[in-house]
Amino acid sequence: MIEASFMSYIALALVLFSLGIIGLISRKNIFIIYMSLELMLNAINLMLVTLSKYFGSMDGQIIAMMVIAIAASEAVIFLSLIVAMYRLKKSVNIDDFDTLKQKGTL
Amino acid sequence: MIDSLFLILSLFALLGAIGMISLENTMHSALSFVVSIMSIAGLYALLNASFLFMVQIIVYAGAIIVLILFMIMFLNIRQEHAPKEPNKFPTMLVVAIVLIPVNYLIFEAFSKMPHIEDFSVKIDGFGDIKMLGVELFNRWLLPFEAISILLLVALIGSVVLARKKERE
Repeated sequence: MIEASFMSYIALALVLFSLGIIGLISRKNIFIIYMSLELMLNAINLMLVTLSKYFGSMDGQIIAMMVIAIAASEAVIFLSLIVAMYRLKKSVNIDDFDTLKQKGTL
Repeated sequence: MIDSLFLILSLFALLGAIGMISLENTMHSALSFVVSIMSIAGLYALLNASFLFMVQIIVYAGAIIVLILFMIMFLNIRQEHAPKEPNKFPTMLVVAIVLIPVNYLIFEAFSKMPHIEDFSVKIDGFGDIKMLGVELFNRWLLPFEAISILLLVALIGSVVLARKKERE
């Protein structure tokens, strides 16, 4: 029986973070890449909250709340960038988003 | 009780994350991510972070996921528009194998931390809104103000990025 101890939470957070990296590298759909980023932020938040309980101090939870605020502002910027790029390229494939590599179309 | 809740929630979190990175359809992937987010919210509740539990549900499941779903529907991403990913699963396998030693190293580093017998807090009202607010407005006041400026910058930046160009 697995118990809900400190190390099991840490292991879960590590596995979730790794799944985020796997999705970030292996997929080409920009939305799934964005959701993988969010999953990595969530895994780090889970680890921070676990450490906050472990040390009995609120600092981890406060940092986790700031990470959530940063994730919210990141969501806004990222999705408006997706809209701007989609208008230009009519695609959600990241292989099409290479305008910085060529002579300017932007 | 706590253990079985932890097992169920972590199982759902992992299944949601695996579905998110492996499903073909973007919409299914986003809905699978909701499962993962809600399970992580439940894990926060198990970790005595009752305010973060609410924030996770309101901000992530309520705002960010809805924004993603709205964008997917707004851009009308169909299955035939989605990018072709022929060697998705081999790449995943390679990345997973590369990540195993890294994870092992971090896990070992964490397991060297001093072991505590019962993983439970003694402080009364730990993690509720009052304690978090007192900490936030005393010791963390400057980071809090910096975060509010960051949110303002993100608001203005999104408006600037998403509007149409008037000239040309």
